[in-house]
Amino acid sequence: MSESMIKAYHRLLTEKKLSCRELTQAYLQAMERDNPALNAYVTPTPDTALAAADAVDAKIAAGDAIGLLEGIPMTLKDNISTDGIRTTCCSKILENYVPIYDATVWELLKSQGAVLLGKTNMDEFAMGSSCENSCFGGAHNPHNTGHVAGGSSGGGASAVGGHLAVYALGSDTGGSIRQPASFCGVVGLKPTYGAVSRYGLIAYASSLDQIGPITTSVEDAAVVFDAISRYDEKDSTSQGRSGEPVSSTLAKGITGMKIGVAKEYLDGVGEDIRQSLEEAMKQYESLGAEIVPFDLPSLKYALPVYYIIACAEASSNLGRYDGIRYGYKAENYTDVNDMIKKTRSTGFGEEVKRRILLGTYVLSSGYYDAYYKKAQNLRGSIVAAFEKAFAQCDVMLAPTVPTTAFANGSAVSDPVETYLTDICTVPVNICGLPAVSVPCGMDRQGLPIGMQLIGRRFDEEGVLRAAYAYEQISPAFPKAPFGVTL
Amino acid sequence: MKYELVAGFETHVELTTNTKIFCSCTTQFGGEPNTHCCPVCIGLPGTLPKLNRKVVEYAIRAGLATHCEIAEISKMDRKNYCYPDLPKAYQISQYDKPLCEHGYVQLSNGRRIRILRIHIEEDAGKLVHRRGDTLVDYNRGGVPLIEIVTEPDFRSVDEAKEYVEKLQLIMRYIGVSDCRMQEGSMRCDVNISVRPQGSEQLGTRTEIKNMNSITFIAKAMEYEYSRQVDLIESGEKVVQETLRYDDATNTTSSMRGKEDANDYRYFRDPDLVTIHVPRERVEEIRASLPELPEEKKQRYMEELGLPESDALLLTKYRRIAEYFEEAAEGTNNPKTAANFIIGQIFRSVETETEKEAFDVAVSAAQLRELIGLLDSGKIRMNLAKATLDKMLETGKGALELIDEKDMGGLDEGALQALCRQAIEANPKAVADYQAGKEKAVKAMVGYVMKNSRGKADAAQAEQTIIGLIKNA
Amino acid sequence: MVTKEEIMKIAILSKLFVAEDEIDRLTEDMQEIISFADTINRASDAEGDFDSITGLSNALREDEVVPSYDRERILQNAGDSDDGCFLVKNIMK
Repeated sequence: MSESMIKAYHRLLTEKKLSCRELTQAYLQAMERDNPALNAYVTPTPDTALAAADAVDAKIAAGDAIGLLEGIPMTLKDNISTDGIRTTCCSKILENYVPIYDATVWELLKSQGAVLLGKTNMDEFAMGSSCENSCFGGAHNPHNTGHVAGGSSGGGASAVGGHLAVYALGSDTGGSIRQPASFCGVVGLKPTYGAVSRYGLIAYASSLDQIGPITTSVEDAAVVFDAISRYDEKDSTSQGRSGEPVSSTLAKGITGMKIGVAKEYLDGVGEDIRQSLEEAMKQYESLGAEIVPFDLPSLKYALPVYYIIACAEASSNLGRYDGIRYGYKAENYTDVNDMIKKTRSTGFGEEVKRRILLGTYVLSSGYYDAYYKKAQNLRGSIVAAFEKAFAQCDVMLAPTVPTTAFANGSAVSDPVETYLTDICTVPVNICGLPAVSVPCGMDRQGLPIGMQLIGRRFDEEGVLRAAYAYEQISPAFPKAPFGVTL
Repeated sequence: MKYELVAGFETHVELTTNTKIFCSCTTQFGGEPNTHCCPVCIGLPGTLPKLNRKVVEYAIRAGLATHCEIAEISKMDRKNYCYPDLPKAYQISQYDKPLCEHGYVQLSNGRRIRILRIHIEEDAGKLVHRRGDTLVDYNRGGVPLIEIVTEPDFRSVDEAKEYVEKLQLIMRYIGVSDCRMQEGSMRCDVNISVRPQGSEQLGTRTEIKNMNSITFIAKAMEYEYSRQVDLIESGEKVVQETLRYDDATNTTSSMRGKEDANDYRYFRDPDLVTIHVPRERVEEIRASLPELPEEKKQRYMEELGLPESDALLLTKYRRIAEYFEEAAEGTNNPKTAANFIIGQIFRSVETETEKEAFDVAVSAAQLRELIGLLDSGKIRMNLAKATLDKMLETGKGALELIDEKDMGGLDEGALQALCRQAIEANPKAVADYQAGKEKAVKAMVGYVMKNSRGKADAAQAEQTIIGLIKNA
Repeated sequence: MVTKEEIMKIAILSKLFVAEDEIDRLTEDMQEIISFADTINRASDAEGDFDSITGLSNALREDEVVPSYDRERILQNAGDSDDGCFLVKNIMK
């Protein structure tokens, strides 16, 4: 069982047992010591962090009350825009880009007194499952640095799993929060599409991207989610969330909750993982929930549908990197067109170029109907299939990834084989559903295993309540040997 | 053989909203380069578009004013192409669900030019080439446009000219655009083909891009028509291509073949949500539309009895029509107001911009007051005309400029007395008249008019003078 | 079958150079990915036109001007600028 670190630190700060500066410095020192091994941070921001910490200390000294997230050290994935702080998407093409505005999520957290320790590593433009497609080199797994942290939000998961930050914000387009959370033994919440503003999140695939928290406990995930799930007039697809804060509903219990399990999700899943999941099902039954098995045949199309739609949108979203207004610009060229092509060819990494080409292909005349349009229609069928499934159950239980963290360098050889590891995570993005990955065991190599709870649109409450109930009775899994210890 | 011209128009009209289509930057024309910009309209990573409500409303107004059907469900699409003036490398436009479809513009020869569609989209920035350098200014980037696409219904250059003028007039009337072609707020692309007279089949067409003057449009179309006819007659083929018109040489030339074959890869913009236009809203907008120029012209002719030429002149600019209606309201004869406006007030407005604003020294209320004096017989036409000139000069009202003693007609006795004086003062004119020169009487009438300060009725004075001479 | 010519065509549309020595491997990769994408064509025709996940409509903004950014900030990330404009220098000069 995991306790809320946010609440623990909040108590220490308000009881004046620890100053915010001391807390922040502890994290900054740990970062300095351990980041070379984890490569979680790509741009540390110690000055920003200490200035924010001092402001919180001044407030506490003046006897003012502070909010839950006030003074808590955290990180942002390097695709979340921060005014005045370099934001690179871990791509050479944005190596020197400094945004002139804040992403809405950062604006919200900053106004709630968050202490930003730095920007974290990721696969270039969030395209990848290992974090190794980063121009800064991959982030490593805090449980075994010979393995990857996962991707694309690998830096955030590594930082939180390695106790170099209390929480991180990542982004999830096809599993990029949940998969690294699962690999690093932490909690990762992908909110409902529209619950959190995308304004300032550098787009990979606009209809799939969503920002969410990576934390060490379900309760912390709920607290951070409550803080960032607001309607934003700058994002036309934003809806926010109304009603009671999710964090105050966690302890309601799950008696009578129907937990669906689709057998298609368990196809091809590793043995250790299957066992952990079966164990979890038993525990759920012991908590008074009912396990409901059912079929989801359209699941087999989810992966190609995801890659077609994501790459199509990406090919358009990434057209703007032409070297003229920001970012890397090629030096030797013959004319504007040549400059743009050289900039893009040198500035983008292999996987990004591959996805741009695929996206252009599926949208180009002659192929649009066979790929893009067909994929959109199938997206509709998958949405309908999930809706039908949710008529039979309240939440769904599934593995997060069919494997545990791969060894460094083993993931890049075959593109399609790599894509296949996203099989369990992408359906959630296709349907815009909320899902959380929570640790549910360790494999025989000592690497963490995660499981997902998937809910109806805007039912973060159900998803997190189920995750919380499990977390309360699950054994404590080993901690990674890095970072700050209380 | 005789050849028929077949042409269609794609017209881009910039909307006069306060802000850009997807961000809150001003749309003001001019301004130092890149001073009307923000992260959204320069396409910074992570920014998102938010559609301006006014743009949708204006496009619907334009659609209703051109008899279009308004879509109940519409959406925004991305048109992907990479060019430095397009900061996101895609233009947010509308592909298969435009806001307006199937309308028309009626021409004076009775033909209707069918409007295929009107959709909304964003304008691009501006490139300046200087000694081989490329400079980019995004002030215009994101300014809202409507694109009005016609069927290939034009059969002559005159029809094309009339259409562009009419479109300009309609858009200004409904207040959605100032349509200033020289500032680029209205630009036309023209598709042209020719075919033997009587043929039903369309010839191969060329497209002349981006013309911003009616004169150029006419010249370019004439040139392109002759060029295509010459090609066909000499046994060659017209090549389907995009052309640029060069006004200095009055020729068209092929736009340099870009490396890229056009493939815009349209798809729905996932950053923007569906546009739903409730039918009640369409009716509200329809009800709020002003009377359109064509309808106004008809009404002026039929109800107010104005000649067509006057009706046309008065309806050409919305402000002028409003001015006329206010000045003529409650007066005996609308023709009087029309004459004053066309005959005298028009002299003070020369440029198109001045006519559009119609900000003249005499207010419509002041003109109505002057006409009132005329109607009630307090002053005569000559005095009214002279007074109006003074009013235009000074900006003062009629009552300030006309002496109390000038008011009212001349009574019979006073007129008799003045006519006698005129006869005595002009013995030569009397002699001439008696010798058969009838025109000689005019000099004496002039004397009466002058000395009555315009209060005398000229016709009445002439009759009196003739009577006095004959009875002498 | 994905051909080299198609790869060249989409590379041009994507504004990317594909080097001679990359083209074979890239065509192979794309062929593999496209075959994988082709699995969707085994699905029977899906019902309905997918609209959007959110089902939202009319997210509209009022037409009120907000001051633009200082030009200095707008140009801050540009590699080159001149006369208040973004600049692509002619290097042939």
